[in-house]
Amino acid sequence: MMSASLDETVGETVGETVGETASFDPFELQDTVTGDIRDPYPRMADLRRQSAVHFGNIDFTGSDDPEPSLVSEVPVPVSVFGHDEVVSVLRDDRTYSSTVYEGIMGVVMGPTILQMDAPRHKVQRALVSPAFRSRILERWETELVRSVVDDLIDAFAARGRADLVRELNFGFPVQVIARILGLPMVDYPKFQEWTIGLISVASNWDRAMAASEELRVYLTAVIEQRRRQPADDLISDLVVAEIEGERLSDEDILAFLRLLLPAGVETTYRATGNLLFGLLQHPEQLEALRNDRALFPQAFEESLRWEPPVTVILRKTLKDAVLGGVPIPANSDVGLFLGAANRDDRRYADPDTFDMFRQAQQHVGFGFGVHMCLGMHLARMEARVAVNAILDRLDDIRFDPDADDDPHIHGMAFRSPTSLPVCFSPR
Amino acid sequence: MVQDRLPDERIAVLSLQILIDRDKCMGSGNCVFWAPGIFDLGDDGISVVLDPAEGEERQMFLAQEGCPTRAISLWRDGVEVTSP
Ligand code: HEM
Ligand code: SF4
Repeated sequence: MMSASLDETVGETVGETVGETASFDPFELQDTVTGDIRDPYPRMADLRRQSAVHFGNIDFTGSDDPEPSLVSEVPVPVSVFGHDEVVSVLRDDRTYSSTVYEGIMGVVMGPTILQMDAPRHKVQRALVSPAFRSRILERWETELVRSVVDDLIDAFAARGRADLVRELNFGFPVQVIARILGLPMVDYPKFQEWTIGLISVASNWDRAMAASEELRVYLTAVIEQRRRQPADDLISDLVVAEIEGERLSDEDILAFLRLLLPAGVETTYRATGNLLFGLLQHPEQLEALRNDRALFPQAFEESLRWEPPVTVILRKTLKDAVLGGVPIPANSDVGLFLGAANRDDRRYADPDTFDMFRQAQQHVGFGFGVHMCLGMHLARMEARVAVNAILDRLDDIRFDPDADDDPHIHGMAFRSPTSLPVCFSPR
Repeated sequence: MVQDRLPDERIAVLSLQILIDRDKCMGSGNCVFWAPGIFDLGDDGISVVLDPAEGEERQMFLAQEGCPTRAISLWRDGVEVTSP
């Protein structure tokens, strides 16, 4: 979502808009949203070896993807591939502005914190932050997340095999965020559909605008209702939040809620999938985690380093700048390749290997600087609860050798496994 | 024990001192993630040093490096230090 401009060239190649009445397959739009690229990393490493900062369009399809390039005309004039350079950009928010998102996600979400610069960003972020602190989230862990995950696992535990992407990962983050917001359960399927509608803004304008409008109508009614009758949920908290006389308008709240859907749903289900993929590919690491759950934080952070679900974020230079010795003119769009930064071999030894035992190091999978992911503690908790439930309940879990599938992580703007066909001892 | 700290207050830990710049801290909680026990968020959402003895030096460097807004600095004998 944060990197939607990468997909702008996808539009032409996708079919027509899918009618809202057609039965909705949540996977229908995945390729148009992500870009169907299997392994962009060798190319990124090549580019980085040439220079950490590049100008002009970049073709990522030189690898094993036979399709004509979906992103051959990446409309991002400057691309950054080095870790330290990405971190410098994200720490210098006075030079590198987030207003670049106004013309992309801002169109469907409204003015969210994602696209704000200081000082407005600081005020608004402080207003929405309390609900996302780890201590506040503890309450949701037992009350909500574990039961959502257990219900989903119940549906296939006796079968002995499942596709964890479709049957578990895709379903739980949307339920969690909807319940934290305080929305009724019957609306969840609609919710997921709107979410995908929003993030396909670059590839399917009509669909995105329709989803945006439906969400506006739906959420405006909820906000009004909570103003009259506060409940024990996030929307009610936002309605009354106040810091030093500053409050959130209905428009602010609406925009923020529209941001939360894609930011909290798409990312978390993908991140959980990438971690499970790494573990299933390395059974010895899976076993180590099964035996010592205290290893979870390092396993998840390693998966976010190795395969960050959001691979590119954007900024725009407000003035002339110099990055890694390279001059960048004012008003340039700057694409920050988080995936490339996370595999910078000047910082991480053997960067392409998933190894949860490597010495912990900060990564940029959640971004960095003042816009660093607001939901990272929630995402960490959700992924932990889901993986723990899998390890507790699905004995002997492994890739299903009989599934005639070729599970692999793919995508460009977003990356996650196509499927996770597993088998385990039925209970 | 949570202690209120002024921006320039430094705490002796073994030989490492932690300084939190309250104006720069955005309350991300990332330091609490990397070094629980050493850091916590106060009621105002700004980081505080809880108990510097509650972790290893390595964790302090992780927190310093992982702070998105460079609000944490580490000092040894009056000299600022970064991850070895
Ligand atoms: C593992 C899962 C997640 C990943 C990889 C992820 C990644 C990111 C990244 C890279 C950014 C920075 C964007 C930029 O600077 O341009 C970001 C920002 C954000 N994320 Fe996440 N995210 C995840 C989960 C969540 C969840 C669960 C929520 C909320 C429920 C959330 C809410 C947000 C919000 C509101 C922002 C904007 C913050 C700001 O602009 O100040 N994210 N996320
Ligand atoms: S990591 Fe930095 S910004 Fe985040 S809470 Fe700690 S000191 Fe504050």
